[in-house]
Order: sequence, then structure tokens, then C-alpha cells
Amino acid sequence: MEDLGEIVAEFLLESHENLDQIDRDLVALEQEPNSRDLISRIFRAIHTIKGTSGFLAFSRLEKLAHGGESLLSKLRDGVQPVTPATITVLLAMIDGVRSILSSIEENGTENDVDIDSILAQVHAQMNAGEAAAEAAAAPAAEAPAETAETAETAAETPVPLEEAPPAVRPEPEPVEEQRKPIGELLVESGGAQPQDVGSALAQQLEGDERKLGTILLEEGKAKPAAVNEALQQQAPKRSIADSAIRVDVDLLDTLLNMVGELVLARNQLVRGVMEIGDATLVRSAQRLGMITSELQEGIMKTRMQPIEHIWSKLPRVIRDLSNSLGKKVELVMQGKETELDRSLLEAVKDPLTHLVRNAVDHGIEDPERRIAAGKGPEGTLTLRAYHEGGHVAVEVADDGAGLDVDRIAQKAVEKGLLRAEQVPNMDKRDIMAMVFQPGFSTAAKVTNVSGRGVGMDVVKTNIENIGGAVSVDSTPGEGTVWRLTIPLTLAIIQALTVDCGEQRYVVPQVAVLELVFIDGNSTKIEYASGAPVYRLRGKLLPLVRLDRTLGLDVGGDQGVYIMVLQADGRRFGLVVDRVLNTEEVVVKALNSRFKDIGLYAGATILGDGKVGLILDVSSLARRSHLTADADRKSLEGSSRANAAAGTGERLLVTAVGERRVAIPLDTVTRLEEFPRERIEHAGSREVVQYRGQILPLVRLSHLLGAYGEEPEGDTVSVVVYSEGGRSVALVVDRIVDIAENSTTARRDAEEDGLVGTAVIQQRVTELLDVRRAILAADPNFYSDLENDEMLVEA
Amino acid sequence: MASRQFATFEVAGQLFGVEVDTVQEVLSYNEYTPVPLAPPAVGGLFNLRGQVIAAVDLRVQLGMARKALQGPVMNVILRGDGEPVSLLVDKIGEVVDLDDERFEPPPDTLSGPTRELVVGTFKLDGRLMLALDVNQAVDTYRATT
Repeated sequence: MEDLGEIVAEFLLESHENLDQIDRDLVALEQEPNSRDLISRIFRAIHTIKGTSGFLAFSRLEKLAHGGESLLSKLRDGVQPVTPATITVLLAMIDGVRSILSSIEENGTENDVDIDSILAQVHAQMNAGEAAAEAAAAPAAEAPAETAETAETAAETPVPLEEAPPAVRPEPEPVEEQRKPIGELLVESGGAQPQDVGSALAQQLEGDERKLGTILLEEGKAKPAAVNEALQQQAPKRSIADSAIRVDVDLLDTLLNMVGELVLARNQLVRGVMEIGDATLVRSAQRLGMITSELQEGIMKTRMQPIEHIWSKLPRVIRDLSNSLGKKVELVMQGKETELDRSLLEAVKDPLTHLVRNAVDHGIEDPERRIAAGKGPEGTLTLRAYHEGGHVAVEVADDGAGLDVDRIAQKAVEKGLLRAEQVPNMDKRDIMAMVFQPGFSTAAKVTNVSGRGVGMDVVKTNIENIGGAVSVDSTPGEGTVWRLTIPLTLAIIQALTVDCGEQRYVVPQVAVLELVFIDGNSTKIEYASGAPVYRLRGKLLPLVRLDRTLGLDVGGDQGVYIMVLQADGRRFGLVVDRVLNTEEVVVKALNSRFKDIGLYAGATILGDGKVGLILDVSSLARRSHLTADADRKSLEGSSRANAAAGTGERLLVTAVGERRVAIPLDTVTRLEEFPRERIEHAGSREVVQYRGQILPLVRLSHLLGAYGEEPEGDTVSVVVYSEGGRSVALVVDRIVDIAENSTTARRDAEEDGLVGTAVIQQRVTELLDVRRAILAADPNFYSDLENDEMLVEA
Repeated sequence: MASRQFATFEVAGQLFGVEVDTVQEVLSYNEYTPVPLAPPAVGGLFNLRGQVIAAVDLRVQLGMARKALQGPVMNVILRGDGEPVSLLVDKIGEVVDLDDERFEPPPDTLSGPTRELVVGTFKLDGRLMLALDVNQAVDTYRATT
């Protein structure tokens, strides 16, 4: 590299960028073959490469680019249509250019790169040009395979320049190519006659050094206004190219450190000034403080790049791969503006590419099998990126056949990763996660893309190295979602600052659903056998006290805030003393010695220069024992007839006539109030319309034979129970309380509809047979879930 | 004669020293963010030019009660393994050049948590300096009894 002139280095860097853009444009061109804009842009870029390589005496490169240019000019002039075959050849040509560039970069020559076979393809395409579409179809069948091979070699050849300082510049297009000559603009707008422009140009050629517009003006051939307008038309194009510059990352890092020093100096200055107490000085110091903070933030942001940066190479990957496999894949990108720190982007690039290749190779089926499965022949691959719970999630989702859990389990047993007797008790997702084990591959045949059993474990290792996590979820026949959760190290997030005790903490705003102020009167925290809950619009929200969780002194229940948070699909309330404000914070990785605590996602520097800890919402959720599995199990367990059998269970106590009836809290999905007039009748049953569904009602008073006075009032209180997408509502007179069934004094049921009676809160309370009650409302409730015998019994 | 440079500081009246190469800088700071549930030896976190630094309370590491973090406290910031970490000390001493012949292993009578942190004793004029094992000194998961 030492003997490479600066010009060559610049040429290489710029060409690599241009090539990436051409790749994207070519794939886009295939989608809209008639886009003249795209063709011209590709043409211009190739032209630039050709021109510069001629100038630098890289003759093979020039020849290759020239070939591509000739083919493109035919497309541009409409002599030849854009077909997938032409695109394939053009992409192969681009790969050829790439390998020549790499060769130049490595050893300064271009001689060992074979361009003849590519040129032959290019010429074949041009000759096939005016022949009919059939002629074009034949090479199309062969060409993709070749392209895939080329792509493979290209991917394996190290291309160090791609690792070079990142360009902040979006569109590397030479200014000259973009600007239309002023004469042309004037003729188009009617501001000047073509022959006048022609003669003015001729004058310039003869040595007139005046500018074209000046000549026209001075000779009275054009009006000043028209020339001005034309000049302005030229101007904005220039500003696009000038609006961004290349910056060395090392320089940014140095700046970042210096800003850090500045912050410290500012803090010391501010302290000193405060001691002196001079009002003018204090104002200046505050102003300096603000500027410093903004400067720091600005420098931080320069390191952030949208994930689009690494996604942009994927359309090409997918196209080549799907063509070579004979599959059709549509790529959908969501959230490509999501920003990540540059260093993290680099680390995510390879794992992401692997997941995408894997999804095209194994996830999406070939068109025949898709049609056989009743799907469209074209598969969809969705890339999704978004902020969640203080992390950035990146998903690769396909709508293919999904993972075969049984096969994975079988394979895992064969490989000795699992014992056969473990499998039946394992969660489906845990079995799927076996694919991340080293040496694991279920691919029936090994392709050159994937299936060699290397990859998924590497994906996992790479992501875990940057403190992230990988997971997979799949539905047979519907597809698979691979999910990378990437930490926000250095990322900037929106966050809420809260006070708890004497300290300030930071909660990522993405996790926050709403805030509730607890005044102790109209809103209050209630306790279900010591476990704090809050009634959020009728539904019980489990609460976590931040002070208790952090082992601090526990404060009161009044004048506090509940932050309704969501993480891992669970919802809970975090009780804090005060919610201050939202601000953008820069997430700093926390020293490894604090990782074991598990409560902190990172740290940040707050507005006052102090360090604030960022809470890890997911782990708070786990601390509140809200794991999805535990919850589901308790629901399943209690829906069986043994409800309320154990002690220590939480019960919802309701009033039905004179009686107290307890319902296990786990079986309660929501508490609702319905206006009495909304109750309608379907056959002999009562129903209400509820969230777009028909919700069957059962009056516990009828079920339990407690006929008495209908309670007064315009509304009825109901307890909604949902399972597997179906819901029923149990009508009670009143919700009394939530209590713990800690008593041993109980008798088994003698009455229909009850499992027993117990003494709860010093009063005899009947324990409802929830299953019986549900079947009374909807006899078919369990028919999907269990067998007919049960129904007969009901 | 081989000699080494030590940065010295005092904790509870005792002079300690660490080799100068391990020290990044020394500064006084007065706002520390406590980390609930962290090991007791963690005094808190502070902002060093935009970097979050953990301050290890050397008193706790030496088996004493926590240092009261009120007002400015002196930090000896060590380069650490990959990321800087700070030791909270009472007072900063000078940098001293010490010949190896002044070195002796820790006295047998030295016991308790201090013994694990100290690699040796240097005889200065009029007082003794205990040379600290830097890695042990910042290891907050070390059992302090």
C-alpha cells in the first residue's frame, strides 16, 4: 500500500462506494426496468470508474468498465430491454470490477484477474439484444448460478477498503456529472435560443474566457432573470454533494475525549464560580455549561449510524441466492432509520448476513412447495429494527415452513446435546434454541450456503460478545423469526428520569406505557396478601417497589408514582417516588463488576454531570416473578377443577346475594363493569358485545341458586376469564376484596358449582368451581382444548 | 541498583503505594452515585470526562467501615484491565523512587484483609509504605471479613 499514490487510494475508496450503490441500483432496476433515472445513475457511475481507470492506466479495468458501459448505453437508449439476465450479467461485471480493485489494492496490479469470461457474457448479452425474449431467457437460466459463484468468491476475498473510515456522505456522485450545463437549462426554459448557445459555446472554444451565461448576457441573447434562474437550478444539485464530508473515526474519538475533558473543566469552573457568587460570572458559566453539553451530545451522535448502512448490502445477497436456488423472495425492510453505534453495526453485520442467507436457503420454500402449502409462490423476508426495553432489536423474519421442532429434538438427542427423556418436558422455544449449539444443523443436504453446521453458533457467539442475545421463534407452516437483541452501549435513548429515595434513576422510555399518580384516595395501592397491586382500568397490575427491589428504605404508598412498564411481553407497575422529566441520554456500558447485580442496563451522565444508573426493565419484570411461563402455568393449573385447592393462593372475593364467593385470581383476566342495557340475548343465554366479540355471561347467582334481590344500579360487575382466544364473563353483585386463602378450615363441596368452602377474612366463603361456571356460560369453551368426555360430564 | 517509582497515598494513617505505571491520574471528586446491591466495597460511580468510573473504597477492602462520601474525596485512578477504576483514599502522598534493597516481604504479624492486598513493605525514612497488589485492591468480589 505504501507505494500507492494518494490518488489511487482515493479512487479505490470512492469506487467501492460507487459499486455498492450500483449494486443497489441494479437490484432496484430489476424491479422497475423502465426507470431511466436508475439506468442513467448506474451509467454515470460506471462511466466515472472507466474514466478514472483510463487515467490511472488500469487498462483491464477500463476495458471491463467499458464493456459494461456499452451494454448500459443500449439499455439507456432503449435499444434493448432490461431483463433479469442483463442484470445478472451487469452484476457479474460489477463483481469483476470489485476483484480488480481488490487486486490493485493488495499488490498494485490488476493483471491476475480474469475479465475475459465476464466480457464474453457482456457481449453475448449485447448480441442477444435485439433478438427476441426467448434468446434472452436461455442465458438467464445459466447465468444466475455463475453469478452466485462470483458472489461467493467476492465475499471471500478480503476487501479491506470496506473497513476504511466510514463515509458520512450519502451519495458519492461527481458534481460535474450531476450538473446540467447552463446552456441546456436556458434552452429548456426558453431563456435562450439553441443557436445562440451554440455560438456562445463556439466562442468559448475559440478562447473566450468568459462564462457562458456572461457571454449570452453581454451579447443580449438572454435576459438576466432567465440566467439567474438557470444558475439557481444548478445550485441545489451542488449543495447535495457538498452537504456531507468524510471524517476519520479516530478524529471523532479524539474529539469525543476532548469534549470529555471540557465537561470536567466546565464542572470545576462552575463550582468555583458558584463559590465566588458573581451573578454575571454565574450566567456565563451556565451558558458555557449548556454549550458544552450540546457539544458533547453532538459529538456522540456523529458515531451513530442508521442500520440501513448494513442492510443496504442485503438486497443483492438475497437476489443472488434466491436466483441460484430458484426461489422467489421479496425483501421488506422496516425501521431502517434505527440508529446504532458504529462499532456495534460492524459487529452485527456478519451475523445478520448469515441469518438472511439461512432464511433464504432453509426458511423460505421453493415456489412449488409454497403453492402446495397454499401460499403465494413468492416468499417474504422481513428485516425489522426497533428500540425495545433499552435494547435495539433486529429481526429477520421469513414466511417459510418454520422450524421442525421434532426434528431438532431428535437431532439434539442424536448429537448427545439432550437426553431423550428431557425432550417431552421441554419448552418448544428451548428446543428451537438448540440450533445455536456448535455443530448443529438439521439441513437434509449441505448446500454451499448453509447447512454445514457452522454459523448459528458463530452468530450466537458474535452477538453475545457484544453483550447481546439471540433467540428464535417459529410457527410451523407460517415462518420463523430470528431475533438479535443488541445492547445500547453508547446508543442514545429517550429516557425518563425518576427519583427513588435520594437517588435518581433512568428508565428507558420505550418500556413505559403510562404513568399513574397515587394520591391514596381516588387512586391507591392495594395489597393481595402482601403483594402490591393496582387496579388499572379494572385489570390488576402487579407492582414492584423500586426502593424495596434496590434494598433501600421502603417509603409510603401515598404521593408516589406508578410507571406502567412492559417488558418481555409482561406488564407491571414500578413504584417510584417522583418522575422528573424525559431526556435523551447516552448509554454507557457499566463496569463488568456490576453485571451480576442484573438490575442495571447501563449508566449515563445526567444533566448535572452526575452518573445515573439505567434500570433494566426486563430484569425488574423477572424480579416481580412475572415470567410468562409461570403465569401461563398457573392459569392452566387453575382452570382445571382443582381450583382453589391449595392454600396460599390469591383469591378474588365477590358478593353474590348474601353469599361470599371466591374466585382464584389467576383465572381472572379482567374486571369490567357493563351497563345493564348492553346485555343482549342469544337463545336462552345472556351475552354482551365486548371488544368485537360476543361474550357469554353467566350469573353466578343463578348458577349457585342464590336467587334473591337483583342488585340495584345501572351496571353489572363481571369477572372476565379468557383462555385460548375465548372469553366468558361471570356476573357477580359486587367485587369485595382480594385475599389470600391461608386457612385450613375448609370443607369439600356439597353443592353444585362449588369446590368447597373456607374461612377467609373471618368469614365463610365459598370457593367457585371455575370450570363448571365457565361451561355454564359457554358449553363449548373447552371443546377445542379437550375431549368430548369432559363435555358430557358438564 | 534497580529502583521503582511508587505513587503513595494514605488510608487511615497508613501509607500505601502502587507502582506509578499503574496510575492513570489522581483527582479529587465530590459527587458519587451509589450502586444499590453492589458489593460493599463499591463506593459509587462518578463521571470522569464522560466516562463512568467505579470507585472502590479502600477502607472496606482493608476490612474497615465505609468511608463517608461527603465533600471532596481523593481518587487514585488506576488504568485497570481495559477500563479505569478508582481507589478512594484519604490523602495523596508524593511519588517516591525506591531501591529494591529497601523492600521486604510483608511482616508475618500482618494479618487479616490487609495481608491479602499487600505484596511487600518498603522502609522509608521514618515510616513504612505498604505496596499494594493492584488487582487484589480493586477486586470488589473479594471476601472481606
